[in-house]
Amino acid sequence: MDRNYVNLTVNPCKMCMPMGMVAALKGISGSMVILHGSQGCSTYIRRHMATHYNEPVDIASSSLTEQGTVFGGSENLKKAIYNVIGLYEPSVIGIGTTCLAETIGEDTARMVKEMKTDPSLKSISLIPISTPGYAGTQFEGYFNALKAIVEDTAVITGKSRALNVIVPLLSPADIRHLKLILEMFGIEYIMLPDISDTLDAPYTREYKRIPKGGTALSSIARMPGAMATLEIGTTIPEKLSPGKFLKDKFGVPLYRCPLPMGIEGTDTLISLLAEFSGRKVPHMITEQRGRLMDSMIDSHKYNSEFSAAVYGEPELVLGILNICLENGIGLRLAATGCKSPLLKPAVENLEEKFKNNLSVMTDTDFEKIQKFVAGCHVDVLIGNSDGKWIEEKEGIPLVRIGFPIHDRIGGQRLLSICYEGTMRLLDEITNTYLSFKESTYRKRMYQKYFN
Amino acid sequence: MRGENTLKRALDKYPARVYKNRKSHMLVKDSSCKTQEIAANTRSIPGIISNRGCCFAGCKGVVLGPLKDVVHIVHGPVGCSYYTWGTRRNKARKSINEKNFLQYCFSTDMQESDIVFGGEKKLRNAIKEAVEIFSPEAITISATCPVGLIGDDIHAVAAEAEREYGIKVMAFSCEGYKGVSQSAGHHIANNGLMKNVIGTGKGKKYGSYPINILGEYNIGGDGWEISRVLEKIGYDIVTIMTGDGSYAELKNAHLAGLNLVQCHRSINYIAEMIEKKYGTHWLKVNFLGISSTIQSLKNIALYFGDESLISKTEEVIQEEYGMVKDQLEYYKSRLQGRTAFIFVGGSRAHHYQVLLNDLGIESILAGYEFGHRDDYEGREVIPDIKADADTKNIEELKVEKDKKYFRVTMSPEKLEELKKTIPLSYYGGMLKEMAQGSIVVDDLNHHETEEFIRLLKPDMFFSGIKDKYISQKMGVYSKQLHSYDYSGPYTMFKGAGIFAKDLDMGMYTPAWRFVTPPWKTGPILEAVLFGGEKA
Ligand code: SF4
Repeated sequence: MDRNYVNLTVNPCKMCMPMGMVAALKGISGSMVILHGSQGCSTYIRRHMATHYNEPVDIASSSLTEQGTVFGGSENLKKAIYNVIGLYEPSVIGIGTTCLAETIGEDTARMVKEMKTDPSLKSISLIPISTPGYAGTQFEGYFNALKAIVEDTAVITGKSRALNVIVPLLSPADIRHLKLILEMFGIEYIMLPDISDTLDAPYTREYKRIPKGGTALSSIARMPGAMATLEIGTTIPEKLSPGKFLKDKFGVPLYRCPLPMGIEGTDTLISLLAEFSGRKVPHMITEQRGRLMDSMIDSHKYNSEFSAAVYGEPELVLGILNICLENGIGLRLAATGCKSPLLKPAVENLEEKFKNNLSVMTDTDFEKIQKFVAGCHVDVLIGNSDGKWIEEKEGIPLVRIGFPIHDRIGGQRLLSICYEGTMRLLDEITNTYLSFKESTYRKRMYQKYFN
Repeated sequence: MRGENTLKRALDKYPARVYKNRKSHMLVKDSSCKTQEIAANTRSIPGIISNRGCCFAGCKGVVLGPLKDVVHIVHGPVGCSYYTWGTRRNKARKSINEKNFLQYCFSTDMQESDIVFGGEKKLRNAIKEAVEIFSPEAITISATCPVGLIGDDIHAVAAEAEREYGIKVMAFSCEGYKGVSQSAGHHIANNGLMKNVIGTGKGKKYGSYPINILGEYNIGGDGWEISRVLEKIGYDIVTIMTGDGSYAELKNAHLAGLNLVQCHRSINYIAEMIEKKYGTHWLKVNFLGISSTIQSLKNIALYFGDESLISKTEEVIQEEYGMVKDQLEYYKSRLQGRTAFIFVGGSRAHHYQVLLNDLGIESILAGYEFGHRDDYEGREVIPDIKADADTKNIEELKVEKDKKYFRVTMSPEKLEELKKTIPLSYYGGMLKEMAQGSIVVDDLNHHETEEFIRLLKPDMFFSGIKDKYISQKMGVYSKQLHSYDYSGPYTMFKGAGIFAKDLDMGMYTPAWRFVTPPWKTGPILEAVLFGGEKA
């Protein structure tokens, strides 16, 4: 994209693959993660996730040292696997690679295969996942992991009435809400992954090392027998799509729908669910839609006054875009640190529909985002808390959503999907603008008329 | 009761080899033993969730990162760089004409093709771009895991850029896999700063008592509070390494009259090298805790030995202490008798014990994440520490007396005399000061954290964000001593007051009362009976 400076990334708008891989694994029941590499990767990712979710996030490392870079790390990895099993008793271990392991050419898949011959490991799923930090962002790491899990686990089974639901990285609150909706329709579902409890666990007297919740491996194994797969997200690269894999290999019909953010996006999802279940849309959901509609009409008089810039993971960006456009909020920018070739065409579709011209930046950094928003009229920023520097420097208020949110509490509890979540996020966006307007109104008026 | 048995029970679940290894990293303080040895600075066991970071974290994240007027370029894939972006709360402010790049995160964001074909060209161009956009006086390049392995010669690139742009460009080969923890990175950063920066400045006119503060990273403004008090007494601070520090000031570090060392682990190499090269002595200080702060301030004055300085020191102590005395008494009355675990860093686990003790809180378990044996047992054990393969890979920089700047400030006799009363060029470690029966654990991991909490039921747990929530989920109040949970400063007298207040808040938050729902404890009807009277 319009990058004058192409070699120096200033304030990255992305993380590395293992981060996404860990997030995905945390949604699998009884799981642990080992990152094959030096300790730092695990430690950094633990730190970042714990700060956002306010939960323990345990990630083991094979703790490779200089010696390991010379003689290979299989011994370390082996030890790590046995130790993790001894102390955590997981039913599945995701083994991700890091830059180090990949650079020295570690063949984790082979190592794991060899280990599987040990009868004592029979009841444990060891899933190797290739996640070199230099080959993609957390977005790719996440789907890479999901696909690897499905490939490893899914087996030919009898047909069931279940619906596979594959979700991008959302908040635990979002996943809880989605499950509730599925339950209201009486749909039997397999949600992959399910971080609703694992990364937002209720306070109990008893602390569990591996939190309860998450998608059971036995459920994933049954995915090939499902009635259909519903993959939420339209920017997932084909080669990373677990839904596509299930379709190609097992013939499970694949439906894709956009993230249910905004009224139309949610309508699509709800209609699909109605069709799957053969039921009428539950009364409560209709009411939620009505309430969202009501709120949209309530706030339209403010919404068309201001404009916004959105950044983050492509799927979420699209979702937020939808909400803004449906409500007449002027959009200036949709940006992502991922390469995501699918974002631009998706945005163009929306542009046409809403007659709103906006710029799209992929593979970008915050330096360029900042330059852009400073150079045009933007009232509100929407994205994760890394935009706080722009907020500070340019004085543009930031609505925090997505991952990570490090400077506010409760990122794991933010609900922003479906009618209910859309309503909350929309209110938040509108109110952010209103509060900004109120607090700067006099000053601006003064400048306009008396200066 | 705490004792060897506690250790055994905590280690119980380990397989034999792990048991043996981890056992050597623990001990129960026994004052009747003349020496007690603990294993430290050795490899963590794979798969055991340690809190340690990597070499890169220690080099770029800890020591170099806080230098505010420097553009710190991370050469490598984007992750490592991103993860060190503004995460340490090392605060900085800039004065006029000063540059501050601390809010930025710079990376070469290596891609697959760079790994295959080499990333030198990208790095070269990235430096060029950094110079064009930010025009800094100095640039550091820190290597992450793949760099050394693919054979990028970052030192050559740095040298070339230095010639081309006429600014300081330094390369640090701090690949994540080097050493066994952040500690290796501290050492590499120390070497680099000593080689390239310290001693290159011409200085300015300093007051009578110019000093450096080493190993203070200004977390939550700690360094500012230290500087405020020291300046009030009459010291002139040449540079702080490295919290709110700058390349511009660091260049003049050789011109100070004394080096104060706060965090011994991360910076003792520089302290020693400066002593050898320029003759400046170093004094171990601790500005966390009232008693240690008073002692440290007195020691500094004693070093310079000037009567007026000594009396001014007393005066400032009275004044500063007076301001918080009542407050501290109050909090002490509320916190007295509690017990704590403290597991952090390479010096803080020691420093904070004093502050806790001042508040009547007993540290029943303590340990370092990346300390060495000397941080536990005192510098006298350094000659006995066997260098293993991991340590040998880190360069031991040899320095010689500087022809121009080496000074002898004190007669050897006087120096020896002074050493008897103040810790000059010496750190005694944490162990000596711990109470009989307290437990020391090096490189405490997730499993042991849980086991020890279960066994010893402390009232508070001091550590970092990675293990904070484990403790909290177990019902034990937890406070981060890496980032202070967005509070601070905790240093000197005022800081002690803020710390005490934070603990009080954490211990007494009404939230803890509601952990058990009423229907789990007995009849609930009385609470809902209408009319205000209880049944
Ligand atoms: S970029 Fe590579 S080395 Fe850095 S944290 Fe990510 S996987 Fe680890």
